[in-house]
Amino acid sequence: MTSLIIVSVLAVAVLYLGLFKYKTALLPVSVTGLLAAAAMAAMDWDLEKMYFSEMMLFDNYAVAFSILLILTTLLIFGLSRNYFEKISNNVAEYYALMLFALAGGVVMVSFHNLAMLFIGIEILSISLYVLAGIRRKDPASNEASLKYFLMGAFATGFLLFGTALIYGATGSFNLAAIASSGAFESALFRAGVLLMMVGLSFKVSVAPFHTWTPDVYEGSPGLIAMFMATVVKTAGFAAFLRLFLMAFAEASAFWAITVAILCILTLFAGNITAVFQDRFKRLLAWSSVSHAGYLLLAILAVGFSASSAVLVYTIAYSLASVAAFGIMILVSRARGNDHLDSFNGLARTNPFLAFTLTLAVCSLAGIPLTAGFFGKFYVFKVALAQGYTWLVVLAVINAMIGIYYYFKVIIAMYMKENANAVAIQLNPGFRLVLSIVVFLIFLFGIFPGLIANIL
Amino acid sequence: MSWISTIIFLPVVFLVIILLLPSRFREWYRYITLGTAILQAGIACIIYLRFDQAGSDGFQFLEKVPWIHLSLGNLGRLEIDYFLGVDGLSAPLLILSAVVMVAAAISSWEIKENMKGYFALFLLMDAAIMGVFCALDFFLFYVFYELMLLPLYFLIGMWGGPRREYAALKFFLYTLFGSVFMLLVIVGLYFSVTDPVSGAYTFNMLHMMDAANFVPGAVFSPEVVQTILGVPARLLGFAVIFIAFAIKVPVVPLHTWLPDAHVEAPTPISIILAGLLLKIGGYGILRICFGIFPDSALYFSWFIGMLGVISILYGALNALAMKDLKKLIAYSSVSHMGFVLLGFASFTTEGTSGALLQMVSHGILSTMLFFLVGVLYNRVHDRFIPNFRGLASHMPHYTAFVMVAFFASLGLPGFSAFIAEAFTLIGTFNSQSVNGLLPRWMAIAGSLGILLSAAYFLWTLQRMFFGTTRFRGGEAWSKQLIDLRPHEWAVLLPMALLTLMLGIFPSLFFDLSNSALANMVQELFETGKRHLDSLQYTNNLRF
Repeated sequence: MTSLIIVSVLAVAVLYLGLFKYKTALLPVSVTGLLAAAAMAAMDWDLEKMYFSEMMLFDNYAVAFSILLILTTLLIFGLSRNYFEKISNNVAEYYALMLFALAGGVVMVSFHNLAMLFIGIEILSISLYVLAGIRRKDPASNEASLKYFLMGAFATGFLLFGTALIYGATGSFNLAAIASSGAFESALFRAGVLLMMVGLSFKVSVAPFHTWTPDVYEGSPGLIAMFMATVVKTAGFAAFLRLFLMAFAEASAFWAITVAILCILTLFAGNITAVFQDRFKRLLAWSSVSHAGYLLLAILAVGFSASSAVLVYTIAYSLASVAAFGIMILVSRARGNDHLDSFNGLARTNPFLAFTLTLAVCSLAGIPLTAGFFGKFYVFKVALAQGYTWLVVLAVINAMIGIYYYFKVIIAMYMKENANAVAIQLNPGFRLVLSIVVFLIFLFGIFPGLIANIL
Repeated sequence: MSWISTIIFLPVVFLVIILLLPSRFREWYRYITLGTAILQAGIACIIYLRFDQAGSDGFQFLEKVPWIHLSLGNLGRLEIDYFLGVDGLSAPLLILSAVVMVAAAISSWEIKENMKGYFALFLLMDAAIMGVFCALDFFLFYVFYELMLLPLYFLIGMWGGPRREYAALKFFLYTLFGSVFMLLVIVGLYFSVTDPVSGAYTFNMLHMMDAANFVPGAVFSPEVVQTILGVPARLLGFAVIFIAFAIKVPVVPLHTWLPDAHVEAPTPISIILAGLLLKIGGYGILRICFGIFPDSALYFSWFIGMLGVISILYGALNALAMKDLKKLIAYSSVSHMGFVLLGFASFTTEGTSGALLQMVSHGILSTMLFFLVGVLYNRVHDRFIPNFRGLASHMPHYTAFVMVAFFASLGLPGFSAFIAEAFTLIGTFNSQSVNGLLPRWMAIAGSLGILLSAAYFLWTLQRMFFGTTRFRGGEAWSKQLIDLRPHEWAVLLPMALLTLMLGIFPSLFFDLSNSALANMVQELFETGKRHLDSLQYTNNLRF
């Protein structure tokens, strides 16, 4: 709880710093504040405290995902020095909005009441609508913002409607009360579950509610897209799982088939479309859709160490995405665009960047000894334990397709030449963040027990 | 001091050294790599000498350290161990790997650009290959197996010929296609097998090989027929893993990556592909497919033998039609690896020992053959058979080694391949009377393959090496085509001696493997038969 307060206060403080033009203090203050928030969250470990008459529950699940969200944001801030300055003069707003979004994310992973879930999602989403459209003069950015807002508004509508129906069926917003209400057979309840599923699917870009993803990612500034792909997706899935684990687990026989179909749709839509992308940012956007599919597999296995599987998968996915988006930003800034051809010859000019990106896409593709491999392995394992063999077979076919398109960028970097490529300059923040990411991907790849034993 | 960990991780240590050395010491990289390979060969010698040949049905040089242990709530505990060891099946292949690595390291002298990357990847692959042969935990095996792929992908893709990207990606996707499905079977096996001591689910391959450790009613349990998607689970599991390794061997019709990969790969990588990677396929089939699913292996044995025969004949016929010398040798590999499959399928000690010797012998011979092609290609950047004539008088030493390699490959008595193919065929021939698995005509068809291999090797010899000297490149080529250099002697002479030695004293090899293989074949056949009788699959796949 203290961590949530710190993040919210920090956001306000950052706004004031911007007001008084202390631009140089923005980054240090944000980073210190986030470190403090992470430390505070860690102190809540094993306490299982309820807050505000059972509105929020800081259990280990909430603590683990809060820390993951905060640390991911920290990594993104590490890349942001001199980044927002290039876009506009009002830098403080970026930091403040991202921190507000993070606060929303923390609420989303710790809610114990449907009202808090809604509030968390709204805090997160509204900050993101602004962030997506923050390059006001850029039509693509405007398009992204408008699209995201319209789609998001619809999704919110579905979510609210679902919440209302569930309240009608069970008489409560409280997760524990819903779980023990025994109203699982009523049509009202079932409609509510499905509508909430639709609303959440929008947020985590699960097909067929994913259509906004590529355009919004493409139109938003690179770091914001990175934030959406990592923090927002992690928070969304943590909320998704928390809701279905704590409130709807008993009714899983009813919604499992829907989730399974969504999972297949998402996997195929994401992966097959990604094959045909020739811009790296769009490719990453579609691949992020496909990763939502793998995560749905874990949600299907509710109760069978699903939370641990989702945690491992999101850690691996966030680390790899930070590296992939970060290098995409560097390359598109230095070479004008993020076309796959822009990556040609990167291995010769910047061996470190090429190596990091290779490791990142290997982790996304699930090659052993990277964190992503164990993430996939774990998710497949819990799904197989639940007897979803056919689903896992389809997921494996999709993992194969994934490798094909992820390797396109490796081919470009290592096997294609670009005669007039010059080395890309790295600032110390980038070097530090990318080194940390490389280290962690290897560490969690070789010793996955470090993260798999948390929950 | 644990020798097996040393032989696996030695390359990793030197890999770090290479990465840390600045580029101005780039000439050192190849010496470091060669030194590593020689050290490994030394360790392999120690393993050979210390290997207890008499009572060698069990595993030796065992090492076991807990690696990933996590609790899965109500699913129990996940236990993955760092578990290594060798027996009479893996020891010869481990030693072969060390020998082939030395040859590949010497032949890496031809690499001139981006040497740091090349040698780093080379050593990483070296470590992974050694690991594959020693891993006794299925998860660990899979990690090594995949780890070997990535460096190979880059080694072909970055230092290869003109169509390298295509060849590298094709190779990578083919292998991965097999292995990702294998991962699912691994998970299924994990849920089916428990450690007899601790009772936890396990990835331990030795436990998986013992039918007593299967959980009753689990998906791969040999007691009752379970089905996955309507297919008996054990048959499906066997088929999935078999396909994964059959792609590696490669078995026709899954072989199409091989000619592309070989033609585009630089010489040292071709040597490793043919000399070691194909052996991993054969090793995997015997150790894992047959070891864990003996009943399915018996059930499919006719089919596996048939695939072996098809590979032998199809590979040989293709080799006959090739104009590119490297492609010819690549297809001859397909043909020779077919014998391995045939020998395994026979379920006789002779056949299996012959097949294992065939793997070792082919490892040595294909190293020689690809190295010899590399010698020619490095001099004139051409390897089309019609472009050369009368090389014998122009490069007499080179021709001598070519003749040794060709005659050894086509099964001339006195060389290792003869013993190997003879034993394989004896095993196949006996199979009908001993266990009734393979019909006699398969042995006859196999010997037809030897005849065809004689045809393509001798015809090539005649076209390229005999007659009056005439090259497509004229005078320029005559100047470039100088005879063997000292480092080329250093590879070819030991390899030629090795194949001769194994041909004259095959007991050097059989002593190492025989008792293990004899026990293994016996046991596999008996347990397989027992399960097969109790499982009673409805339709039998014997045509």
